[in-house]
Amino acid sequence: MSTSTPSSPTLAEPLPTAPRGWHKLTRLIEPIVLLVPSGVWLLLLLVAPTLLILELSFIPGFRLGQPTGGYGIGNYLEIFRPIYFQVIWRSVLFAVGCTVTCMLLGFPVAYWIAVMAPPRWRNLLLVAFVLPLWTSSLLRAYAWITILRPSGSLNSLLSALHLPNQEWLNQTPAVYIGMAYSFLPYMVLILYASLEKLDKRLLEAASDLGATPQQTFWKVTVPQTLPGIAAGGLLVFITSLGEFVVPELLGGASSMTVSRLIYNQFLGATRNWGLGSSFSILMITGVSIAIALLLKYGDRDSALT
Amino acid sequence: MNSTIPKPRLKISWQSMFTLLMFGFMYLPILIMAIYSLNSSRFSTAWEGFSFRWYQRLFSDVRIFEALKDSLTVAFSAVGISAVLGTMMAVGLAKFRFPGKGLYKGVSYLPLIIPDIAIAVATLVFFSSLFGVLTPIVQSLNAFLAKMGLLSLPLPSLSLGTVILAHVVFCLAYIAVIVSTRLTSLDPHLEEAALDLGATPLQAFIKVLLPELIPAILSGCLLAFILSMDDLLISGFTAGNGVNTLPMLIYSRVKTGISPDINALSVVLILASALLALTSEYIRYKGEQRRLNR
Amino acid sequence: MSSNQQNRFDRKSAHLPLPRFSPTRRRFLKTSAAIASGLALSNCARNLSNANTGSSPTGSPTDSATSASGKLYIYTWANYTDDELIKGFQEKTGIQVVADPFASNEIMMAKMQAGGGSAYSIIYPSDYTVIEMRESGMLTPLDHSRLQGLDTLKPKWQNPVYDRGNAHSIPAVWGTTGLIYDPQKVGKEIDGWSYIWDNRKSLTRQVTLIEDVREVMGATLRTLGYSYNTTNPDQIKKAYSKLVQIKPTIASFLTTGWEDQLASGDITISMVYSQDAIALIKEKPNLKYIVPKTGSSVWTDTMVIPKSAPNPDAAYAWMNYLLQPDVAAGLVERLGTATANQAAFDLLSPETQKDDRLFPTEAMLSKCEGVAPVPARITEVYDQYWTRLTSS
Repeated sequence: MSTSTPSSPTLAEPLPTAPRGWHKLTRLIEPIVLLVPSGVWLLLLLVAPTLLILELSFIPGFRLGQPTGGYGIGNYLEIFRPIYFQVIWRSVLFAVGCTVTCMLLGFPVAYWIAVMAPPRWRNLLLVAFVLPLWTSSLLRAYAWITILRPSGSLNSLLSALHLPNQEWLNQTPAVYIGMAYSFLPYMVLILYASLEKLDKRLLEAASDLGATPQQTFWKVTVPQTLPGIAAGGLLVFITSLGEFVVPELLGGASSMTVSRLIYNQFLGATRNWGLGSSFSILMITGVSIAIALLLKYGDRDSALT
Repeated sequence: MNSTIPKPRLKISWQSMFTLLMFGFMYLPILIMAIYSLNSSRFSTAWEGFSFRWYQRLFSDVRIFEALKDSLTVAFSAVGISAVLGTMMAVGLAKFRFPGKGLYKGVSYLPLIIPDIAIAVATLVFFSSLFGVLTPIVQSLNAFLAKMGLLSLPLPSLSLGTVILAHVVFCLAYIAVIVSTRLTSLDPHLEEAALDLGATPLQAFIKVLLPELIPAILSGCLLAFILSMDDLLISGFTAGNGVNTLPMLIYSRVKTGISPDINALSVVLILASALLALTSEYIRYKGEQRRLNR
Repeated sequence: MSSNQQNRFDRKSAHLPLPRFSPTRRRFLKTSAAIASGLALSNCARNLSNANTGSSPTGSPTDSATSASGKLYIYTWANYTDDELIKGFQEKTGIQVVADPFASNEIMMAKMQAGGGSAYSIIYPSDYTVIEMRESGMLTPLDHSRLQGLDTLKPKWQNPVYDRGNAHSIPAVWGTTGLIYDPQKVGKEIDGWSYIWDNRKSLTRQVTLIEDVREVMGATLRTLGYSYNTTNPDQIKKAYSKLVQIKPTIASFLTTGWEDQLASGDITISMVYSQDAIALIKEKPNLKYIVPKTGSSVWTDTMVIPKSAPNPDAAYAWMNYLLQPDVAAGLVERLGTATANQAAFDLLSPETQKDDRLFPTEAMLSKCEGVAPVPARITEVYDQYWTRLTSS
């Protein structure tokens, strides 16, 4: 709303050097202009709903349309059932596996597009890589069922190549394939943003100085793209922790994840919004701690705090 | 065009082969959808003959295109707003120190962590309470305006607008995260140098910082766009009457089985956006050449 | 009743100075406590704009979204209306129809309760959701004097368990839950669930079940001779122990998406809704759908008018239109859904009438029950077992 007001006089400033007063004023206004609009937006539409969830998590057995008791920590005590630990453990395992897979598959792709491909084609290649995600994730998951089912396309191909058939559907490998498929483009996009501005002269200099490609990679490329690697890893980890359509459709009968559990509490048979909220808060807290640790140790050398 | 960049090596490296393989991986399900969208059978068990029947059905289905229109409106508006706000936020967070900065940063990560369903439900509750407060205000304002003989304001209600409002939250977060990543590894002295040379902060921002940030902003937008186009729960809970996004339609149709016309839609969508990307890239390339030749 | 709700709303809004950010945390919590308790006390469908114009079912002329008397907003399953139906209705009544789809009863309920569905005058909940909606006071009792053709409903739907005397709802579409399989692959005719238990050694990952705790547990309860809707924890426990025996045979819990796997032979048996089975059998006539002999569930999706309906007149017009035998019969032919309207049934081709997948015989139906809501305490028990089943 007020974004344009302070900026237009600055633009109209014809002098090459602005007067001192201006500098002082802009120094005051700039952070406000930059941070307040999104701050207000987040406060209204993110912080307020989140506090509501926090509150619901302290009302045991809160259900829509039914009288509820007072506050209590019953929901949090409920979480500590062995069965839920199993679910949490599986979710974390899926998320970690998916993150590692995406990193291993995504880095060479992002590197090739950002560094090795002809510059003219880079944008196009990047867009082409993420284009499949334009389609509904549900439909893609169904397409993977068609591919991975025992008599599906994959096994037809393997038979044609005289390779042993695989029975991956409704088991863990299918989950990793489906999740890696869903999140690989995210990883590539983020790594690309980081690799694209990699100083290629440094790579040349390194090889001129006699470094092997491996040495160049580990000593030059990786340190320079570390923020991207961290951000990509984090983003994929978090979003895959929240994914439940793929595990459910491809993972078979034992594929309950935390997100699905939360979903079930909100929109399933029980509709225990209190318990669902406390699981949400648990997830938020857990991931926040992970992020905080990562920011503390991963971001040390940067100017950000 | 630039002498410092080595000539693109067109020799075949393992990276290029691997990338090709990954492209194959990305397009395999799309290929499957494309094949079975041309199958005359409704089910993708076996090939039962070539047919355009699903495409015919798709193009005669007005509802799908209305849903597509709603989805695109939401995605473009939300991503457009978020691109501006998210970039400003990332720059602001990188530049300034202030009390509560850590909290602000933490909150900006929140949309990535909160389960969709929780935030969707909570946002709807928030909206409906807010409208409960706003409605009498607007009504009395309208009574006042009517006395003055002016137009009356619409009463607040769920609409396409509320979906956009809600989508901006997560789009904002994703764009800000990616732009921050880029900012972290940017030379902070560039902007200072511009300022020392007499540029106003805005000039320094637009001429120096922004070009450096464009790739990150674009990839952030792409990501946000994808997420917005695929969101079911947040749209489902914040949409007004008559507003249907594509995922809302698809998920509700799945109740009675998926029919290949939706697959046909996926294929059409991908082809259309590929064409769009190619054209814009071609125009950009021509423009660049013209500039170089001048 | 209506004034009572008005009071509730007033109390709530009195507590709600602003759900925004107040300076202190305490105040915010208090505010949101009001939101939450308001949420718990009243269903918020009427707390939106139209609450101020009174929640009487005569509509809210000031609500801009719905003021056009010629517009009817419907909240329904995606495949229950088609253009022909909507066009026919508009020609007859001049009322324009906007049909919004929902993906599940639960999503619909949550949206209505959280205040997001104030414009809908017709909703299509399933039977068990009708009970829930009625119990939370969300439904308008139907004025039967304004409906023509109720007497032509099949006897079974004249006085259904989920809504005695059709006081709040009208049946729209119904069906059963059963098993679909390929007789050639199995090598014999299956008549019920016992086949899976008897052959559990050879059926590893060969079965898909519906992704719904009550359907799956209910079917197992029936094989033990108990009711689908038991509230006896011991019986539920027994059913769970029995179900665990066939866990290795379960490939996946899928309500949709099993079609390909079944038709290609990668799965031997699927537990499905009759409607989905009929659609697949149309393409793959070699498959067979059965209602298990131990009994199964029969479900009904209905039409209701919510209390918050802005245009009840149009809603009645819609119900009357769908009660017309020729309209209902047309829907059966076009959409492949079963009608509960005897007069419409009589208009169908003998071939459709004889289709016992679409219209099961009385003998089959007599063993079927509808899924009814159980107390929250019992729902929790079901949910615990479900989590155990799907995570171990």
